[in-house]
Amino acid sequence: MDLAVIERSVALIGAIVVGVFASIALKEDWHAKGLDNNTTKLLLGLMAFGCIMVFFAAIGVIGPKG
Amino acid sequence: MTTAAVEHGHGPGDEHDHDDGHEEVIYRETTDMRLLGFVLFLCSDVVLFSAFIFAYLYLRGTVDEWPPILNGHQLPRLDLPFAEFNSIVLFGSGVTMHHALENWKHGKVGRFDFFMGFTIVLGVMFLGGQGYEYSHAAIGGWSGSIFGASFFTLTGMHGFHVFCGVVYLAILWWQTKQKHYDQTHYFGLTAGTLYWHFVDVIWVALFFLFYIF
Amino acid sequence: MAVATPTTTPIPRPVLDHIHPEPTGFIRKYIFSIDHKIIAYQYFITAGLFFVIAGLLAEMIRIDLLKHTGVLTPNVYNQVYSVHGSMMVWLVIIPFVSGAFGNFVMPLQIGARDVAFPWLNLAAFWMFPPAGLILLASFAFGAPDAGWTEYPPISLQAPFGTSMWCIAIFLIGISSTLTGINFLVTIFKMRAPGMTFTRMPLFVWASAATAGLNMVATTALAAALLALFLERQFGVPFYNPTKGGSPILWQHMFWFYSHPAVYIMILPAFGIISEVLPTFSRKPIFGYKMIAFSSVAIALLGFMVWAHHMFTSGMAPWLQLPFMIITMLIAIPTGIKIFSWMATLWGGSIEFSPACLFALGFLITFTLGGVTGFFLAAVPADLHEHGTYFVVGHIHYVLYGGSVFGIYAGLYYWWPKMTGRMMNERLGQWHAWVTFVAFNCTFLPMHWLGLLGMPRRVAMYDVEFEFWNQVVSICSFFLAASTLMIMGNMLWSFKNGKKAGPNPWGARTLEWMISSPPPYYNFKKVPAVLAAPYDFGNPLPYIGLDAEPGAVEATPQSTTGLVHAH
Repeated sequence: MDLAVIERSVALIGAIVVGVFASIALKEDWHAKGLDNNTTKLLLGLMAFGCIMVFFAAIGVIGPKG
Repeated sequence: MTTAAVEHGHGPGDEHDHDDGHEEVIYRETTDMRLLGFVLFLCSDVVLFSAFIFAYLYLRGTVDEWPPILNGHQLPRLDLPFAEFNSIVLFGSGVTMHHALENWKHGKVGRFDFFMGFTIVLGVMFLGGQGYEYSHAAIGGWSGSIFGASFFTLTGMHGFHVFCGVVYLAILWWQTKQKHYDQTHYFGLTAGTLYWHFVDVIWVALFFLFYIF
Repeated sequence: MAVATPTTTPIPRPVLDHIHPEPTGFIRKYIFSIDHKIIAYQYFITAGLFFVIAGLLAEMIRIDLLKHTGVLTPNVYNQVYSVHGSMMVWLVIIPFVSGAFGNFVMPLQIGARDVAFPWLNLAAFWMFPPAGLILLASFAFGAPDAGWTEYPPISLQAPFGTSMWCIAIFLIGISSTLTGINFLVTIFKMRAPGMTFTRMPLFVWASAATAGLNMVATTALAAALLALFLERQFGVPFYNPTKGGSPILWQHMFWFYSHPAVYIMILPAFGIISEVLPTFSRKPIFGYKMIAFSSVAIALLGFMVWAHHMFTSGMAPWLQLPFMIITMLIAIPTGIKIFSWMATLWGGSIEFSPACLFALGFLITFTLGGVTGFFLAAVPADLHEHGTYFVVGHIHYVLYGGSVFGIYAGLYYWWPKMTGRMMNERLGQWHAWVTFVAFNCTFLPMHWLGLLGMPRRVAMYDVEFEFWNQVVSICSFFLAASTLMIMGNMLWSFKNGKKAGPNPWGARTLEWMISSPPPYYNFKKVPAVLAAPYDFGNPLPYIGLDAEPGAVEATPQSTTGLVHAH
């Protein structure tokens, strides 16, 4: 098995798992107030966006040409 | 304006100060201040990375082809599949750190220990992964071209931040073992979590800029 | 308008800061102190020393320029002006206005007992002397010689002293960033109860805007310096065009910090003027809110104009117009300040103390500097003026005629508070006049020298410029000598100065309500603030202070209580 395929598969599954957990955490903390909670929400949200990016990269939708 | 005239003074450092029997003086809670200070520090760190990202994008804009040509040949692109894997390692550590803090807040120290350890392990794995990436990236080295210059400098700075983060988390974990924090006073853990998320999000940007874009 | 009496206004609940026990032992009291006042004195002394050294470097420049064939070798001359500029910006003006005045005055003005992070304050100060020593030591290794701006490719080819410059400025940059964070948190979280943002003294507004700039802009400089260091030491290509880098990249990164840096240098001076003028006109400040918000506006706009230093650099031409327009826009909030200050003076009962004289001088010289700045902002004019003595004239009008005059005004104003002694008023007034005349004679001719075509940063020049260069040099010797007047006055005040009470000027901000010098804990009881500070003619807007014996309240009848020293 090609190493790249293994890496991509693990990344694909991981992106889904991590993304789901991050979204759950975001949902739970949605109404929390305070500078620390709001900063956490922002950063977790951006990180979840990162998971989405990895997901699309793993299935080849985004990425450098060729 | 006259009531100020004579109020018998109390020595500095009094825990409680009664104002003619009316208001009790309260002492300032410093958590808010330390939190704001830490968040401002993270903002200034964002500027540091932004400046280098600007440099990367500017330099990239000066060449027609990316990756750039070195010694007559176009340099290869970086290993995207591996980076996808390593990114998930780091993002996963962000989620585990979040859970560690949540468990601490609810007093579940055993689960806190588990997630904290998991976070540190994932952080070290990421650093190992970066070491692997550096050793087999064939882009002409740090000083070979603007590709190496921007990639190794930016990811190197990021890796340094991750390394400091791992050390910081380890120290925080040790402090919890020393009973330094309890369920109401745990600012160090909050700061550590925010720092770790920050390092995570910087990687989101770097992953996009070097591996996707 | 009358201040509401305490019985009808809700009294804010007092919040005290934990006070650290008074340190014992000389080292903890004076060397490694966490008291913001002691740290401020340390900044004053260190920045003052660097001012003298950088000033002597300036005199070396002027001695060289006495003759059109030069006196120093060009290599030495280049190092002299580069270190002069670097020192004045990073080791003198910024530490004075931010580290010294910011540290001493701001916490007192908000009714705090110290800054938010006193240990961080200590750490930030102690980066400052080593940074200065590293920069001065660079002379032994070939000091930086490409100006304080250190453009590549020259800065890539220079000897090791330029790398030392990178390290020194990086270190002082960390100090600035940490101080900026410290001051912002202090101002946001430690104001006395009742002190809303619109009841803050204007120096605090200025400090807040400056702290924001310090915090955000300085890190961009750190990035530029780091890249330069890496390229010089390890060959990592950022700026070297033969390896794919770009010299213009340095200019963008450097000026993205260095333009906000000039606002870091001037905003606190604006704050000082806003404190001094109402006190010595016995009149409320005109346009408090406009002055406060214009500080913030200047700070924000200051981030958007950096490329006006690069009109002739070869950067993309379409960038010239937007940067020109935004640069011109900064004249608006600045002009609002100038007009507000003039309106403050108008109809006031002006007392020409040394602080007031410097503030008045500032109004003239800084405005002139702002006008020449507008000339430089216009791209077609700048194409001719860039890199000439016109720019040198402009920068010294705003930096010396602006920041240094502001520093002098602040020194005369707060000296009694810091030391408990009055300075000699007559000598101070002479100092102000001598400085003003010598300053203008030194720097005004530079404008026409530049327009006639004399470039800057040259050890030798065309003989046609020699007469005015000699005028400038001779006047600069007087300007340098005038510094001795305030130094002598300081020594005099320790020996013969009358003891100052809490409020020798009859001012109304909180620092004047406690003894001179203040006790280590500043305020025994935290004051509650009921109204804005500059309303001369109204009762003081504070309650809850321990009345210090001899404290003078600032009502019109109290001018007889002002202490004059002779």
